[in-house]
Amino acid sequence: MSTPEVIASARDLGFAYQPDRFAVRHLSFELHRGEVFGLLGRNGAGKTTTVRLLTTLLTPTEGGGTLFGRELRACGRAERARLGVVLQSESLDFVSVEQNLRLYAFLWGVPREVAKARTEEMLALFELGESRHRKPWALSGGERRRFQVARELMHDMELLFLDEPTVGLDALTRSRILEYLAARARRGLSIVFTTHILHEADLLCHRIGVMRQGRLIAVGPPAEIKRAYRGPRTVEAEFERPLTPEEQRTLRGRLESAGEGFSLVALQDALVVFQARNAEGLVAEVARWASPIGIDLERIAVREATLEEAFVRIVSEAPERAPPLGEGGP
Amino acid sequence: MTVPPVLRLVVRNFRASLDSITLLVMFGQPAFLIVILGTMFNQLIPSVGSSGSYVAFLVPGMIASQMITGAVLAGRIFWLDRRWSMVEQIFSGPFRRYEYLAALLLTTLLFALVGVGIMALVALPLAGLPTLSPVELLVILGTIGLGATFFGALLIAIGGRIRSANLYFTIQSLLQYFLIFVSTVYYPVTATTPTALKAVVYANPLTYAVNTVRDAFTHSFGPGDLTAGAVLGGLALVTFGLAVLSFRSLEFGPVQ
Repeated sequence: MSTPEVIASARDLGFAYQPDRFAVRHLSFELHRGEVFGLLGRNGAGKTTTVRLLTTLLTPTEGGGTLFGRELRACGRAERARLGVVLQSESLDFVSVEQNLRLYAFLWGVPREVAKARTEEMLALFELGESRHRKPWALSGGERRRFQVARELMHDMELLFLDEPTVGLDALTRSRILEYLAARARRGLSIVFTTHILHEADLLCHRIGVMRQGRLIAVGPPAEIKRAYRGPRTVEAEFERPLTPEEQRTLRGRLESAGEGFSLVALQDALVVFQARNAEGLVAEVARWASPIGIDLERIAVREATLEEAFVRIVSEAPERAPPLGEGGP
Repeated sequence: MTVPPVLRLVVRNFRASLDSITLLVMFGQPAFLIVILGTMFNQLIPSVGSSGSYVAFLVPGMIASQMITGAVLAGRIFWLDRRWSMVEQIFSGPFRRYEYLAALLLTTLLFALVGVGIMALVALPLAGLPTLSPVELLVILGTIGLGATFFGALLIAIGGRIRSANLYFTIQSLLQYFLIFVSTVYYPVTATTPTALKAVVYANPLTYAVNTVRDAFTHSFGPGDLTAGAVLGGLALVTFGLAVLSFRSLEFGPVQ
């Protein structure tokens, strides 16, 4: 199997706004063609600085990296012409939505006819058709965000940076935009995506990097991240009839002695909810307890860990206790 | 045909960053001053130096001061680009920083020339316009070009270091009015001008630009004007350097 092409990379990359006050440090990862890479982290973790470094807006103060195979410090117009960047902050010109799209295409040197067709495509895709003659600042927050993503897609690119593109969008619009981006990624567009909506990252990203205090402390596919950092999982069991106090006591005793990191969430009537690291083992234990005394289980389920739970665990732990996961491709 | 990046940015500056009300005020105000001051003071001030009537004296001053109008407009574009993150957006695109700076300065110059045209049109019925030789015309345009570069680069250098809109526009207004009033735009330096004021007027680069344009208008262009042009060119180089430095260390992120 051929190795996927590395489109951008960071190699012990660091940036200090003031001497010895690093916003980003010891950052190392590779981004492959067609990959959607999610950059997660709390506010101030260094995500936007990382995007600025990789888009050559900032020059690294230590380490380095590459963009389309060229050293970041040597990158210029030719490399930036292959990028798309949706900034976290609103950026707009003082003309109507439609004129903004056309003017941006003109800035990027998109031929007039292509720009005209693409303007219509973007206005339709991002549901901005009715607002085409309005000024961007007269739009709602969600519309302005849609406008900004639409405007960036007016030109061709190989790597798209999206710094929190879905802030303020409703669920339906978010889902449409994510679907569109996923389709573009399938056609070869690489995407670096920062977000606080972890469900989105789980859906869209091939790999995720979690940042904390300027460092990348975990990198891997979402499933791998969730598995490695899931912590205790929740088990919910419901019996055919309410348990007697004596039955509740014996069940609790069995679970406490067999459970790793066990904690009881609820034990009431016919329902028992608990958390444990060895959730599968305890499911069997519940069945072994119930069968001899003739109580049937109506249902029993282990709730899978979400990316949000894994994320909370990663960023709550000290960096040294959260070693990076292995690299993985799309 | 591919339009060069600097020209694309200039077109964008004209199309995107300025509304008609702002343009009306920026160019309308000096035109209004020519009409009002020219009409009112022409009766009070019978003659001024070699210009003859006061309005004939005022017109070249107002024309030369268009370099300030152009610079103010370019400074405003730059500030709004920072405020609305367009600087960051453009710098992350297929442009070099010097191209953005060059486009701003070219925009300054073009605005100044538009202003010159408007002032000339307004002045024509009031004072008439002298017949200029090609050299005199070149001197006027060259002086306005150097002055526009000097003041434009100065405001861009200041705008790149300040993160508050209030502070930037306060400094811009102060500079604009101070430079215009403490110069020879409205009145010449005479024997009765206080010494301290004289010193400030002669330290003001606008004075040299205005005097050179006026000398070209009155066909009295001489070696002193060449020196003034050289000084203005040197100062333009200095402020251009400051603007480049300001761009190199430009901080991105929110400004208010």
